[in-house]
Amino acid sequence: MAGAAAERKVIRVLLVEDEEIHRVLARALLRSAVGGVELDEAGTGAEAVRRVRDGGAGAYDLIITDGKMPVMDGHEIRAMGVTTPIVGLSSDTLPPDVDTFIKAGADDFTPKPLSKEKLVRILAKFNLA
Amino acid sequence: MEYSNLQRQAASLKKSLFDQGYLDEQFCQIEYLQDEASPNFTEEVVSLFFENSTRLMTNIEQAMEKNPRDFSRWDVNMQQLKGSCSSIGASRMKNECTSFRNICGDENAEGCMRSFQNLKREHGVLRQKLESYFQVLRQAGPAVTAARPRGM
Repeated sequence: MAGAAAERKVIRVLLVEDEEIHRVLARALLRSAVGGVELDEAGTGAEAVRRVRDGGAGAYDLIITDGKMPVMDGHEIRAMGVTTPIVGLSSDTLPPDVDTFIKAGADDFTPKPLSKEKLVRILAKFNLA
Repeated sequence: MEYSNLQRQAASLKKSLFDQGYLDEQFCQIEYLQDEASPNFTEEVVSLFFENSTRLMTNIEQAMEKNPRDFSRWDVNMQQLKGSCSSIGASRMKNECTSFRNICGDENAEGCMRSFQNLKREHGVLRQKLESYFQVLRQAGPAVTAARPRGM
């Protein structure tokens, strides 16, 4: 996955979030804080799965997803067969909340709101920086 | 001279928002994202926050009226609002959301009602203070830069 990203020289991130304000902030963060990142957005877990499937293998290098959303939660994305690295994103940060994401198959978790520092850490963790 | 006074006034308003706990560091993070390409980014995000939070609070109020003691539903709605508050650093509102959710967890309906009234008050005060701040900022012009107030 990281090798494919290096060849493309552009990192494709899918943000799964139903609240516009979080999407607006993520767009601005990725534009200003991190270079070489393309951001796609999905408003539900179901739309995220559709985008991943439509995009084919390696469509995204990373998925950052909220938990509770209409139609399909972010927790359900892995169960739909998505193999892309997934980072859970939530304002609920107690251990049981983080466990919910990890047990559902997320590779990492970061508390809302996103920040430059959190994005840089996440991208570095998955060798995407 | 007037220009400098407006800048000082804006800085003072912002400092008081931090001093009184209405805002936290996240607000500065948003201001740092403002640039020449998005010169009104902060105000746009705050405006979006108030649209969003007003809608969410209406949902919560309706849920409390139409679904009495449906604490699970109340909690889900409040979780969304809490997330929205955290996005702009609306610290006092976020803390009240947390308080509401804790009271919800105790299934204390009256406590939830009181907490929600507190939240509505905090929402109104924050909106008023931020409107004043942005009004002065607009008058002061683009020279007022984004930074955490000194001493914070």
